[in-house]
Amino acid sequence: MRLYLADYLIIFVYFLFVIAVGFIIKKRIKSSNDFLSSSRSIPLWITSLAFISANLGAQEVLGMVASGAKYGIMTVHFYWVGAIFAMVFLGVFMMPFYYGSKARSVPEYLSMRFDEKTRALNAVTFAVMTVFSSGISLYALAKLLEVILHWNFDLCIWLAAGIVMVYTFLGGLTSAVYNEVLQFFLIVLGLSPLVIVALHDAGGWSNIQANLQPQLTHAWKYMDKAENNPLGVNFMSLIFGLGFVMSFGYWCTDFLVVQRAMIAKNMSAAQRTPIIAAIPKMFMPLIVVLPGVIAIALMQPALLSKGYSIPLDENGGINYTMTLPSMIAHYYPTGLLGVGITALIASFMSGMAGNVTAFNSVFTYDIYQSYFVKNKSDQHYLTVGKLITLFGILFSIATAYLAASFNNINDFLQLVFSFVNGPLFATFLLGMFWKRTTGHGAFWGLVMGTLAAAATHGLTIAEGKGGWISPVYEISSGMGQAFIVAAFSWIANFFSTILVSLVTKPKPDEELRGLVYSLTEKVYAKESRWYMKAGPLGLILLLITILLNIIFF
Amino acid sequence: MLEKFNQLSFVIGVFFIIVSLILLIGFLTSSALHHNINLYTGIGMIVFGLVMINLKD
Repeated sequence: MRLYLADYLIIFVYFLFVIAVGFIIKKRIKSSNDFLSSSRSIPLWITSLAFISANLGAQEVLGMVASGAKYGIMTVHFYWVGAIFAMVFLGVFMMPFYYGSKARSVPEYLSMRFDEKTRALNAVTFAVMTVFSSGISLYALAKLLEVILHWNFDLCIWLAAGIVMVYTFLGGLTSAVYNEVLQFFLIVLGLSPLVIVALHDAGGWSNIQANLQPQLTHAWKYMDKAENNPLGVNFMSLIFGLGFVMSFGYWCTDFLVVQRAMIAKNMSAAQRTPIIAAIPKMFMPLIVVLPGVIAIALMQPALLSKGYSIPLDENGGINYTMTLPSMIAHYYPTGLLGVGITALIASFMSGMAGNVTAFNSVFTYDIYQSYFVKNKSDQHYLTVGKLITLFGILFSIATAYLAASFNNINDFLQLVFSFVNGPLFATFLLGMFWKRTTGHGAFWGLVMGTLAAAATHGLTIAEGKGGWISPVYEISSGMGQAFIVAAFSWIANFFSTILVSLVTKPKPDEELRGLVYSLTEKVYAKESRWYMKAGPLGLILLLITILLNIIFF
Repeated sequence: MLEKFNQLSFVIGVFFIIVSLILLIGFLTSSALHHNINLYTGIGMIVFGLVMINLKD
């Protein structure tokens, strides 16, 4: 793949604009709240698109296209079983507590609802995870550009990190959020032509269906037994593991995404943020799953004449991760190639900025201000927030080089993150809807859930991974193993939290008002028009999602 | 005019208009960019850009 002047020009214009956004926002930054939490002033359409965009990093885009090629249309379960239901639940039931409690972060909500040790556990693990994720994102960007464009690895690392540093340092969270919206449109408009051209080249959806195994073009038909479908899971594991535990755990508790809703102007907007975000999310498989399915269809005998194939890896197997870059290289001429590459760069940088801005909020509010230096002036915390942003970027660079030196560190970190994230939703579910849940219960539930996740992974083996305690049970796919690990960790957390809570003293009711469902006055959006209310909007989205599942059954 | 750059929709609109102009001018002046996909994408982006600069945050 080779770029020409027009392509470089488009990349340059993008860099110029993201830095300019930083300078524009800089004028508005007067306090730590402006820098770290946007002073709850961001319009609904921006918070909604930033909400979806915070999850639309390049690893997500490349990963979903790769999964589309590997698992076929079943990849839509991440959207139509996972994301949409969780986003509606967050908007209707959980945002009133996050937003209404006036917490500045998810760990701060945990300190209000439970205690300091639960907050500290969540804050420290989240801070470590985000800064490592940021570094991995940076490494992946530099590696991709090195492989497909033969750009210098070090230059890619320092240029991308430098640009992210400039605009996050200048404009903080608002700057990151604004650039996420720009990135969202760039991905949608930059990749839509690829889908249209490739779909046309493959002879349309009916021709793809005719050429592919039926397991790759049906979302549910082959989910009755794990061995009947490429995901290697049955519908029960899918619905509980992915649809409930993993998706709700991510969309409803991960501060990186929840933060986008917490900066909305008012409760009504905060509740509608994830619900409005669910509308584009519902149709995102057209951009990020369909290209993968088209790619694998183009490699079938009847379509080989089209001249496209996914590159192979060093072992001679299909390198699914390269599906999207190879399609861009195959279908995009100079000009649009620059748009496609810019979209990829934008998604990497945006993913990194999202992690860094979530990291600096949690570190400043939940670690530094809570445990180290209390009661200082706001200007002090603004300065600390900015310095932490610089530290976060530098640590990301160090992580990127660490990832470059140790091939397995990415897999290891992702695994550890999944152990920590898996059980989280049980803590929030019990905390928000069962007033008897105690701080001790929440803390030990999280610990037990994480241990259960590690134990399940150590006792199961899939595609050669796991089984490090003893490979007692074999699962046919890594994804199936991830669902089962998540399910066990959630169950362990749920029951441990209940058991410990029953033998420890709960907080008095008056301390839980506004934090627990049964003790909170229902102050859901005071909108008179139905289409401005989270509930009716969410219900309509769920019906459309069910309809999409039926259409692609 | 400069004040409009405080609006995100305006910034996004200007960005896509510039990108579309690169594609469209390239389509008209360079054989390397003379592909219909550049033309159609450029037209699509310029329409989107114009809509965005006329929106209010």
